[in-house]
Amino acid sequence: MEVLAREAIERGLALGASYVDARVERIASESLVVRNDRLTEVAAREEFGLAVRAWVDGAFGFAAAPLALEDAATARALAERAVRLGRILAPARARRADWSALDPTKGEPAVGEYTTPVAIDPFALSDAEKLEPLRAACAALGGDAGVTAREATFACRSRRQWFASSEGAAFHQELVRTGAGIAATAACHGEVAVRSWPASYGGDHQPGGFERVQEFELLQHAPRVRDEALALAAAPTCAAGTRDIVLSSNLVMLVIHETVGHATELDRVLGAEADLAGHSFADVDARGVLVYGSPWVSLHADSRAAADPREHGLDTRGIDDEGVRAERWSLVHAGRFVDFQSSRETAHALGSRASHGCARAQSWYHPPIVRITNVSLAPGAWDFDELVRDTGDGLLLDGVKTWSIDEARRNFQFTAELGWELVGGTKRRLVRTPTFTGDTLGFWRSCDAVCSPAHFRMWGITNCGKGNPVQDGEMSHGAAPARFRGVRILAG
Amino acid sequence: MTLDRDEALALARELVGMSPAAETEVTVESTVDRFVRYAQVGPTQAADRERVDVAIRVRVVRNGACGEARAEASTLERATLRHTLAHALELAEASVAPGAVVPFGGPVEVEESAAAPNTLAHGFEAKADAVQKALAVAGAHGLEPAGLFQTLATSRALVNSAGRAVFGATSRASFSLVASSESSSGFADTLDADVARLDVDGTIARAVDDALRSRNPRALEPGSYEVVLAPHAASALLLFFAYEGFSARALAERTSFLVDRVGTQVVGSDFTLVDDARHPQNPGWLFDGEGTPRERLVLFDRGRALGPVSDRAHASWTGGRSTGHALPQPSAEGALPQNLVVAPGTASVDELLRRVERGLFVTHLHYVNPIEPHELVLTGVLRHAAWLVEQGRIVAPVAGLRFTDGLLRALGDLRGVGARVERASGSFDAEMATPALHLGSLEFTSTTRGT
Repeated sequence: MEVLAREAIERGLALGASYVDARVERIASESLVVRNDRLTEVAAREEFGLAVRAWVDGAFGFAAAPLALEDAATARALAERAVRLGRILAPARARRADWSALDPTKGEPAVGEYTTPVAIDPFALSDAEKLEPLRAACAALGGDAGVTAREATFACRSRRQWFASSEGAAFHQELVRTGAGIAATAACHGEVAVRSWPASYGGDHQPGGFERVQEFELLQHAPRVRDEALALAAAPTCAAGTRDIVLSSNLVMLVIHETVGHATELDRVLGAEADLAGHSFADVDARGVLVYGSPWVSLHADSRAAADPREHGLDTRGIDDEGVRAERWSLVHAGRFVDFQSSRETAHALGSRASHGCARAQSWYHPPIVRITNVSLAPGAWDFDELVRDTGDGLLLDGVKTWSIDEARRNFQFTAELGWELVGGTKRRLVRTPTFTGDTLGFWRSCDAVCSPAHFRMWGITNCGKGNPVQDGEMSHGAAPARFRGVRILAG
Repeated sequence: MTLDRDEALALARELVGMSPAAETEVTVESTVDRFVRYAQVGPTQAADRERVDVAIRVRVVRNGACGEARAEASTLERATLRHTLAHALELAEASVAPGAVVPFGGPVEVEESAAAPNTLAHGFEAKADAVQKALAVAGAHGLEPAGLFQTLATSRALVNSAGRAVFGATSRASFSLVASSESSSGFADTLDADVARLDVDGTIARAVDDALRSRNPRALEPGSYEVVLAPHAASALLLFFAYEGFSARALAERTSFLVDRVGTQVVGSDFTLVDDARHPQNPGWLFDGEGTPRERLVLFDRGRALGPVSDRAHASWTGGRSTGHALPQPSAEGALPQNLVVAPGTASVDELLRRVERGLFVTHLHYVNPIEPHELVLTGVLRHAAWLVEQGRIVAPVAGLRFTDGLLRALGDLRGVGARVERASGSFDAEMATPALHLGSLEFTSTTRGT
């Protein structure tokens, strides 16, 4: 693989590019869905392709195509196309950065390898071993005619990547994720309610192998999930008002993703996403100045491998897709905004020589763009039960149902799967369709309690849409449950 | 170039012939994609790329029970594809379970669609010229530009062991510009199968004009406002009929708004919605993921709900027939209408606006998502240019409002339908064709002004 990447790089340099990088990628994925006891999806996919990026006269050209083993002709042809494209586009660049000034290497080119720790390889496991837990969990969601849809899902993906650049980078990494989930849909009493575990929309995904799915204990949770779906369909809708709310870590994950993750992507701040996803309320002068949240709010970005694999996320890796090594840095410290998430080019536009290594592509078919990495809220000191008691009257919300946020990442509206009315610090009754809305800064500034590390958990996202044309990104967010004061609740 | 008819069908037939499965279906799809994305600094991303996707769907029968699976590979290499077939067979063997299955469909007649030659041949020099023009015009007005010029062509062949063999090709060309000032933005795009029919100059002019006219917007309080929705704004709402409602699976599972409403008057009588892959303003594939010809289907007939759309499996369970709306099988998703078209009315947008006593003219809605499926309660925010309309006249630009409302309720007070149907994107990749709509009210529930 390295030979093919080198072939492309040498051809690109020979044609006049001042920088060339090449990614050879082999991607394998599997998905299984058992729905209402039918095996409705059994699918596998393999991709093998090459992406070549060439910096020519101040502009990037990018070319990509499927690859065959020892296909040096395709590698050279893609380099030629990438150089040609860069040369055509260069006159349209208003600002021609010198790529050599965009030091990505922090001293030395990235050379080495990284592999996601995997205990039970999901691709080596027999299909029956993967299917049986799904069938059992789906069956356990049954038993009541009010539940009209029962679903158990499994998915895994392996992305092997050989990256090389004309700066001397030569890195091999294999990123593996595995995920699963269950969901029950109750359609009764004239209402529809969905309850899921451990997360909605296909479950949760973790870096690693089948051992991560086993931790979800789908079968054990299935009866509770079914019963909560039925109870929600019969429950009253959540009343409008201003309430103190305790969010489960799963919902804090959503808030982090939408109001911090996307808002601090530097390409968005610089206007490069304005044609589709939007921009950001945070401007380039916000570093060190903007009060993002209360003193209890500290958020860090981290793409490095930690000592404990349970702290890994879906964007834990060795390098990004332009050869910048993984790192950990602070986004918000004790409420104050610290720094953005950047690529080489966007970091340079802000006067920095060093990228935080957030340039990533969905696959060999896609050019890298700035992506949210693993962004987590630092845990506090509260015990969860103690926090609920201390809240007194309010709402305890769990599970992601739907989300929406404006193009500047300022105003959001999120709906939880389930709400508990809290009265005197105890759960009084379930409420359906609890919807909370607010503005990013006001919401984070209203946070006055975060639960302890014992309640902290990483959540994987596999379908983060961004870019134009749109590409999917993967990352995780870690959070413990947290409390927010005086939040506006809409009528359910 | 994409694979041509003979190449694609030959490969699909070869793989079907190679398969020992009881039933085999092979889809061969190839895509050529050339795009330039740009912003203030000029081109920010550009790609000259192609891909091929071969999907092999097999069924095996063991002791009267059936197993079914799909395996895919992004290659034309025979050795890899033999491995893909073996993988599909292995997965199918593991999935064998009792229960009836619907046999693959036999031969059908489907007219062959073709990609536009101009779009296939369109190069990067012409894209760069258009981008530079957008940069120059926006810059001359002190506006920040961002946008995309893309040409895309795809061919698709499907062959199965029951004798079905269909082929088609499509193309899509698009140019868009978002022009932004400190306080406003204007969006315009031009879409067509044939790149020669794109109106780049007109698109640049419209985006710039909207951005300039909507500067310094007025902050309105949340509340109920009469609205005229331009096609992009209308499509952002109406596409949820496809996602949430018209699937036979959603109806069977009683999550669709169609539950107990099929055949009844659900929305205003001026509203007619069809799914039509042959419509000139929203053309699509003429066969579905199982190779079944796509039918033109009326989903709302003058406000009366019809449907749903189905695939072969759901049709057999309900005793009906497939309407040709299957996704690639086997799939956990239900059937999906993908070529929605709203029938035009007779009024121009200006005429619709003249009927507004006090309300909003909305060009775009952003990040619309569903909250409740039976009444199709949706939420989203205003984006790009929007205006306050009083006594039939545009009086001021507005911004910063979020709506939360039921689509069925809102369309129940449909007061007018525009005469000009436009192909418009709702959000991200989905598109449909619709004219402007005049609604008696839409509930705006919060402001987006922030702290």
